[in-house]
Amino acid sequence: MLIEYLPGDSLLHRLDVRTKVLGFLVFIILSFLFQDPKFQLLLVLSTGLLAFWIKIPLRKIWGMLLPLIPIILSIILITGFSFAPERFDRVSSQAILFYALPGDRLGATLGGFLMGTTFIFRLFSMMLASTVLTLTTSIDDFTQFFHKMKVPVEVSMMLTTAIRFIPTLDKKRRQILEAQKARGTKFNQKGIIGSIRSYLPIMVPLFINSIMMANSLSMAMLNRGYGLTRTWTSMREISFAPRDYWAMTFVLLLLILGAYLRFGLDLGIL
Amino acid sequence: MIEIEELTYCYPNSIDPSLKNISLTVEKGKFILIMGSTGAGKTTFSLCLNGLIPQLLEGNLTGQVSVAGKNVGKTKVQVLSKVLGLVQQDPETQIIGRTVEEDTAFGPRNFLIPFEEIKQIVNQTLEKVRLKGYNHRLTEELSGGEKQRLAIAGVLVMEPEILVLDEPTSELDPIGRSEIYATLDDLRWKKDLTILLVEHSIEELVHKVDEVVVLNQGEVVWRGVPTELFRNIPLLLQWGIKPLPVSQIGWDFYEKGWISFAEIPLDIPSGEDMIRTLLPKYRHRHTNTNMNTCADTHSQGLALGLAQGHTPGQRKDLISPQKLHLPKKEIVVQVSDLIYQYNSDQPVLRGVNLTIEAGEFVALIGQNGAGKTTLAKHFNGLLKPTRGEVIVGGRNILQCDTSDLSKTIGYVFQNPDHQIFSVTVEKELEFGLKNAGFRGEEIKERVDEVLQYTGLDRYRSVHPYSLGKGERQMIAVASILVLKPKVLIIDEPTTGSDWAGVQTMMALIRKLHAAGTTIIMISHDMDLVAQYAKRVIVIKEGDILLEGTPQDVFSKEQILLDSAIIPPQLCRLSFRLKDILGDVTFIESSEFTAMFEREKRGCL
Repeated sequence: MLIEYLPGDSLLHRLDVRTKVLGFLVFIILSFLFQDPKFQLLLVLSTGLLAFWIKIPLRKIWGMLLPLIPIILSIILITGFSFAPERFDRVSSQAILFYALPGDRLGATLGGFLMGTTFIFRLFSMMLASTVLTLTTSIDDFTQFFHKMKVPVEVSMMLTTAIRFIPTLDKKRRQILEAQKARGTKFNQKGIIGSIRSYLPIMVPLFINSIMMANSLSMAMLNRGYGLTRTWTSMREISFAPRDYWAMTFVLLLLILGAYLRFGLDLGIL
Repeated sequence: MIEIEELTYCYPNSIDPSLKNISLTVEKGKFILIMGSTGAGKTTFSLCLNGLIPQLLEGNLTGQVSVAGKNVGKTKVQVLSKVLGLVQQDPETQIIGRTVEEDTAFGPRNFLIPFEEIKQIVNQTLEKVRLKGYNHRLTEELSGGEKQRLAIAGVLVMEPEILVLDEPTSELDPIGRSEIYATLDDLRWKKDLTILLVEHSIEELVHKVDEVVVLNQGEVVWRGVPTELFRNIPLLLQWGIKPLPVSQIGWDFYEKGWISFAEIPLDIPSGEDMIRTLLPKYRHRHTNTNMNTCADTHSQGLALGLAQGHTPGQRKDLISPQKLHLPKKEIVVQVSDLIYQYNSDQPVLRGVNLTIEAGEFVALIGQNGAGKTTLAKHFNGLLKPTRGEVIVGGRNILQCDTSDLSKTIGYVFQNPDHQIFSVTVEKELEFGLKNAGFRGEEIKERVDEVLQYTGLDRYRSVHPYSLGKGERQMIAVASILVLKPKVLIIDEPTTGSDWAGVQTMMALIRKLHAAGTTIIMISHDMDLVAQYAKRVIVIKEGDILLEGTPQDVFSKEQILLDSAIIPPQLCRLSFRLKDILGDVTFIESSEFTAMFEREKRGCL
């Protein structure tokens, strides 16, 4: 997983996983309700506040954002030019700022640029929100969530095994890499064929090892009674606390408020 | 408990059966050791016991297997797991959970045992395997020995009546190994478990097991009490089982008619007794032949006599080449003040200083995690020093790439499966040469030469993965040898090999050493280290604790025990006989025989 669970004891940590997932869903809905970057900015700020609250590792976030900057810029440019004036409801958004080509062709609309900014804000707030969710929720909680949502045992089993074997496979990969380096493998051959060829000595043993491991893992699982019944004992019963009901009420109120602003007052569109 | 009748099994794609006509009954509460060389069918046998054969692995099975009254062919593996628990070789693939508790609970959860009860038995089981309080530790962060014990816990938690373990200690250091054995012993007495253990090494098991079953090419060739088998050295050798060094001495004595078969020792105390009772006997006999000098010899005098005799001469031979020719020898590895740390953690190496000269045979020993491999990886540039300097063949490793160094420094890793990727043995060997820039004829010549040298010639166009682990290990070595490295680093060259495989491998290494290759070997097998290495370096917590000839190093028993190393059996025996032998440490059984022979000759 890109971002690991950050143990802590904040309110967000203590909230039931179902509450958090509900909150996350409402947040997504809200962010798709509004097109106006001002509203998006509000959402970014509020997730930012949450992130700040749980002491998010800022460095990591920056590390993830930095390579995205060129994409961000190009999104704004592309939306600016590609959104035709007819696509906007508001007159102000239909205004054409300038034309990129002579003869009034390829006009850049104000709405287009605003839309681009919205996309960026949306991306950014989603990233923050999902980070907040994963940082404050342990894997166990997520498996519990699957269990509660009546997802078959196999799925949560698959999820935990996959997570359990990430470090193991990563170790294997390193060991294979070292073994092949010691035989003089060079990993900087030119061209697509060259680079594929130079990774064969890593990929082939890695696949073979994974298959062998999967084989003995399946034996070990049978050995320990897996598959005898279609279900298994749940190790930890999660339950709602009063704070969860409060939080859910708050979240739902936000949703209603959002819907009223958007559909009742027609705010937040371009 | 276990009844097997005429069991014959043949894997789907093979012609010869892996198990032939096995009939065996095991009573409740017995501790049975199953031995045999690689490919004898031990693992296949253990899979037949819990129903994975024929339920998961198909193939042709005839005969009857029943465990605790249940027909194995007809009872689901999952149901059988309540009766018979199987612990397989690799703990890594048997750990399913992320945390210790989650993993241990896996079995009972499948049986829908209520949560509270699970909690209880998990804690009980963890205590039994000495992992009490580990509940919330992440499984990936456990040490090898801990993982192994967790794997046992995962099976034990189902409360089976029979426990089958397939080489549970092959990758552990001596301390880890004795912990597993101690755990098994505990379990057996406390829970009245029936235990079947597949194992290569026997030193610590001689007095623990009730019976030994030897498999050879899929057949039960011997069955009986361990003392009978382990005293019979030729029999052991015939089936590719490593004899106990003290028993080897005993056998030599027995052959000379000095002791009876039943007197062949099986452990150090009885070995000591044997020598102590034999010595005066001989002295008496010499007294009778009125050799006064001998008659007056007290044990101290004897030691003196020894000290001037043959053995010290041998020792001088071992030390002198290094000491006398020091200036002439080329230095191949020079490590000064090497400090290495991963990220910001505790340093793994703390200021190592080391010089290795051309033509040496060095063994790096130490507990798992002491830093042996980390140190060795600096020799071919896989790791770069955090501080300090490593000069290899006159070049600072900071300035060169591992792939450049691969032509002079060969590094064979522990697990051959991490590097084999070609479809034939021949192609596998060519790979390194192509990397090094060799072309056409030269490649062919070198590959031919090495295939001959390593005895892999007959497998030339065979797929490597169709061969056994021992052969794959040999392929890994061969694929490095084609580059004709001046220095060869070998990390645990014999893990999981049987005795015959160990000897083939070590013979090859000795041959290479004789041809002038500098050998740096990392090993847990102290018998091998004592026998083959010329210089032993003990690493403890990232620094060199001791170094010297095997005799010197292994005579410091206490220091070694403190760093979790158990010296070879014969060295421990010599240590106990200090009052007789003086400061001499014997590492080969023949040295003991020679001592007695000399005693006789000297006095006649």
